[in-house]
Amino acid sequence: MLATWKYRPRNTFIQRLDPRTRFIFLFSVILALTVPDIWDYRIILTLFLISLTLYLLARIEWKDIRRTWLYIFILLFFIVGLNGLLSGRGGPSSVIDLPSPVVFYVGWIPVTVSKIWFALNQITRMLTMAMPALMLPYTLDPNIYGTAFRRMGVSDKVSFTMDLAFRFLPTFSRDFTTTMDAQRARGYEMDKLKGGLVARIQKLAPLIIPVVMQSTVTGEEVIDAMDLRAFGTKPRTWLKELHYAPRDYFMIGLGVAIFITCCVLKWGFGIGGFFVPDWFSRLFA
Amino acid sequence: MNDRANTWEFGTRQVVYGAIGAALYGVFSWATNIFPLPAAGNVTFRPAVAVLIFFGAAYGPWVGLLAGFIGNTLGDMLSGWGFYWNWSLGNGLMGMVAGLVMAAINDFRARADIMKAVGWGTLGIVVGMLFASLTEMFTGGIDLNTAIVGYFVPAFLGNFVVTAILLPVLMIAFAAVAARRGR
Repeated sequence: MLATWKYRPRNTFIQRLDPRTRFIFLFSVILALTVPDIWDYRIILTLFLISLTLYLLARIEWKDIRRTWLYIFILLFFIVGLNGLLSGRGGPSSVIDLPSPVVFYVGWIPVTVSKIWFALNQITRMLTMAMPALMLPYTLDPNIYGTAFRRMGVSDKVSFTMDLAFRFLPTFSRDFTTTMDAQRARGYEMDKLKGGLVARIQKLAPLIIPVVMQSTVTGEEVIDAMDLRAFGTKPRTWLKELHYAPRDYFMIGLGVAIFITCCVLKWGFGIGGFFVPDWFSRLFA
Repeated sequence: MNDRANTWEFGTRQVVYGAIGAALYGVFSWATNIFPLPAAGNVTFRPAVAVLIFFGAAYGPWVGLLAGFIGNTLGDMLSGWGFYWNWSLGNGLMGMVAGLVMAAINDFRARADIMKAVGWGTLGIVVGMLFASLTEMFTGGIDLNTAIVGYFVPAFLGNFVVTAILLPVLMIAFAAVAARRGR
């Protein structure tokens, strides 16, 4: 059992983008929806379509990502959606303040047109923010995270920590597998952890402790090697170079424009708040 | 092994142990998904949290912060969940607050020092998970009640139970390794 990355190189527009562009765009979308507190379905739907287009451009195979989507849907529909539908809370107070016709009751809880519309808005809003994030593990080369963060202004040491963590991962994954095999040879039955909660967690110790302790010893050797090479005394250079292409400027511009537009619409023109459109209300009339 | 000269020092040692902590947190978060731990509702048990708290307590707040932030990102990436900055930062805060106890630990085998580490680890879990849960109000549009009851309480309970059980074992094992190595 080795830790394997979900990443696979594909010749797509998304993977040709500079990793910095993708982080900037992701944060632009999140900030555009959360800072001015956007709940207007017209804006949310526009951003959702942009996110969906980018997701489709990534061409991630369904068999690779279906388990993740299942988790996302459970979270969205059962936790977020049902909460919005039943309580109507979590967004603007106007959802529950609005005089809205009751569509049906769940027990004693009235489900209004306003709450139904809010739940739909909330799910779409979350999906809009989740899709650009969801693509990252499948489409961003793990070897360029350190470089990307360094070029985004993060310090050498923090970026190197990130780079080093990616390099250690297969080693520790292999150590974990070796430890598991060794414990199995001694009769450890990892598939049949019996007993109560405390007993079961305690039984994980023979798997975790050897790997952690070995890693602390490895750490000392790595520190010695790095100190001998005078790590941290001067700014370091990075093997991989990142360069913005015209498409990156376009995407960064788009992200910044989305953020500024949402702020101007909300604070300059008062557009972006929650309301139930007439056509939706008429569906329940 | 545990240089306590300066809690806030950020040198080679912190870079290396931050990376090791992150890689271990990522691997264990991903690997222990296969173990059948009992769960109630959406309470999940992540044994890797004890490793994160341990790295914070043993190597300080910067190591805890980096191990939590990068490790959670790695674990999410390995599982294919994506990148959720607020949960990664919440995990980083969890390790960072736990790391504040580093200077107060003299003997990793001493009951009092173990209790201190568990206490600060618990505080770290509260701070980290509260941050992540409350920021979901802005990113996820959930209300305070859902943030506390649906997100914070299950995350806190799961992490606390695992920390209280595994952290003392990790600390005692670490004391033995440190004594054998002589530094």
